[in-house]
Amino acid sequence: MSIIDRLLNIDSRIIYLLLFLALAFPILYPVVLPMEVQQYSLTAFEFVDDIPDGSYVLFDGGNTAATYPQGGPGMIVNIVHLLRKNCKVVIFSTSVECVPFNQQAIDDALEKLSSDVSAENGVNWVNLGYIGGGGESAVAAFVNDIRSVLEADYFGTPINDLPIMEGVNDASDFAAVMWWGGSQGSIPWGIRQIVEPFGVPMTGQCTTNEVPNYSPYISSGQLQGLIGGVRGSAEYEYLLNLPGPALGQAMATNFGGLLWMIAVVLGNAFYLIKRARGEE
Amino acid sequence: MNAEILGLLVGSIVSIGAYSVLIGDNPISRVTEHLYTGILAGYILTTNWDYINRNAVSRLSQGNFIYIIPIILSLMLLGRLTPKYIWIFRYPIALTVGAGLGLAIRTTVVADLLGQIKATILPLNSINNIVMIIGTLTAIAYFLWSTKYEGTYAQVNKVGRFFLLIAFGVTYGQTVSFRFELVIGRLVAMLDPRIAIYTYIFIAVAAIILAIGYRTGKIPWYTGR
Amino acid sequence: MMSDRLIKIQLPIILTAIIGLLMIVEHFIPMPQTVTNANVTIRSFNTIVSAGALILGVVILSISHLRTIMNRRGSWYYSIIYIVALVITAIFGFISIRDENFLFIYDNMTAPIGAALYSLTAFYITSAAYRVFRARNWSATTLLVSAFIVLAMLIPVGAIILPPVVPIGEWLRSYPSSAGFRGMIVGTSLGIIGLGVRVFSGRQKEHLGLRVEKQGES
Repeated sequence: MSIIDRLLNIDSRIIYLLLFLALAFPILYPVVLPMEVQQYSLTAFEFVDDIPDGSYVLFDGGNTAATYPQGGPGMIVNIVHLLRKNCKVVIFSTSVECVPFNQQAIDDALEKLSSDVSAENGVNWVNLGYIGGGGESAVAAFVNDIRSVLEADYFGTPINDLPIMEGVNDASDFAAVMWWGGSQGSIPWGIRQIVEPFGVPMTGQCTTNEVPNYSPYISSGQLQGLIGGVRGSAEYEYLLNLPGPALGQAMATNFGGLLWMIAVVLGNAFYLIKRARGEE
Repeated sequence: MNAEILGLLVGSIVSIGAYSVLIGDNPISRVTEHLYTGILAGYILTTNWDYINRNAVSRLSQGNFIYIIPIILSLMLLGRLTPKYIWIFRYPIALTVGAGLGLAIRTTVVADLLGQIKATILPLNSINNIVMIIGTLTAIAYFLWSTKYEGTYAQVNKVGRFFLLIAFGVTYGQTVSFRFELVIGRLVAMLDPRIAIYTYIFIAVAAIILAIGYRTGKIPWYTGR
Repeated sequence: MMSDRLIKIQLPIILTAIIGLLMIVEHFIPMPQTVTNANVTIRSFNTIVSAGALILGVVILSISHLRTIMNRRGSWYYSIIYIVALVITAIFGFISIRDENFLFIYDNMTAPIGAALYSLTAFYITSAAYRVFRARNWSATTLLVSAFIVLAMLIPVGAIILPPVVPIGEWLRSYPSSAGFRGMIVGTSLGIIGLGVRVFSGRQKEHLGLRVEKQGES
């Protein structure tokens, strides 16, 4: 077996170990590099910034355990951004797994607010919790008649006892939608069930892998920008001047990405050498 | 030790258990996986039970008797458990599938079909617009399988395939980054300065257990990966 | 026999079509208030039944594990771990879904394991990039080059080593890739409409589990 064959047939576990080390190293020894803000993130930030102060904003929180480290920092900063503008934030979730993380994001956001910003539960924000069954049909039921699917908020307080929900019962009562979809693939639900029927503008967040899936909605104007993955969260933190954990995580992708690129180049180089030798 | 540190430690142990599957299927990873499915099942069971309680049972007890219907339909789902009574299960499914499809169709026509086609009607005054129009039309044409793959259609199909491959390539690049971010998210918690030393100890313990298992042949060693 | 078939097969199909068409028609044609109220109620019922379906999934999985334990099949002792974990979590969850212990178990056990399992693909992707991802023909080369440029754009160091990847990657993502996905969205949309027509007309019955019944009957 030639050296190239041996290298190509290397035990996968060695590659796994190299990747582990490549991803762990920048966490232990952070390397900070300049980072340009992507256009999609800038558009999303400007959309939120342009929401009139005091408006009602509908907020879907769809990050689970796996995606909260990436989307969570951005969610926290987004909630801070909205509360600073005195917006009334109504948060819901279409998945049971996301509910504790939504409340965690709210709690972390409240800690970052200065004392002069009003942030009372039931007055400035509310966590309505989980809509049963999940999926697009749950969203449709919710945005057409909130009280048909929910009687109380996450803490068990009846909806009708919450000042923030007075006179609010469907999507037309909101000025904007924040759709933090995580990796659920749920952004199209918001576009189909809220943006088109009710004409309420929307921006969103998704994991990095889903960004290309939603680029048609951005270019058609149905989605106002998009915050993609941990890099999007880091960019939001930077734009709002509220440093957080996302930047470190975004930087930590450097070595892993480099390893992948080297693996592709090496693998193809060996392949081309073997092909030139007539072995492939 | 406060709850947060205890939580990080527990998280670190179970994460090591989950990642140990990379070495090869072993008892530590199997225990972790079954623990995961058990807890998640308990979580799904109780949170959905709570939802039904709050939105059906409590409405029923307040005199809204129509909410007996979804409770009966939910019980009818149990017909799925036996082939003899599976037909009972079809009624609640008729509701969910009918409502789900109806809701998807009514909005996809405007948002996806018409909205995206409308967005493709662009002036031919820039390379970007031309790329969007050609790319969209040829990619749509690629999915028309009722036409023979020959002549002009074959060329259109080829162009459509090219645009779809770029789309898949872009997605693949984004997906690679996404997967790395997932690992980083876990590692950040496991290597938190307050518990990093314990993480190293747990890794060492797991390595020793597995090494003993492999040496004694109690755990099969997978080769040729 | 006729009424048997009517109750067991035809009525559910008709019900699917009626409910689906009610949802569609309401959206495009102004309907009397009674119909609108009925639709709101149907959607509300749907969320409750869907929650019930998720519980059914847990029940089916648990029965499978219990059978494995009772019959001592394969590695049945792992199923004991599943059952114990389920019972303990459920006990705390039934006390309250905001119970401290319940949330502790979820946040510090399920959440990290789920994140770790979900992230395993990163390792497989990197191994596959080295072993399998080859520019053998123009299709594979297109895929490879697009992926390479976009990943280089996303990692901060990529922009420093290869500055052109940023504008090229942004352009690729915003235009050709977007056009390709737009084609897929339109195709999927047509597929959903086609599926709806087949399900509402009764030509597609798999969602009603009809194949399972046929095997049981024979």
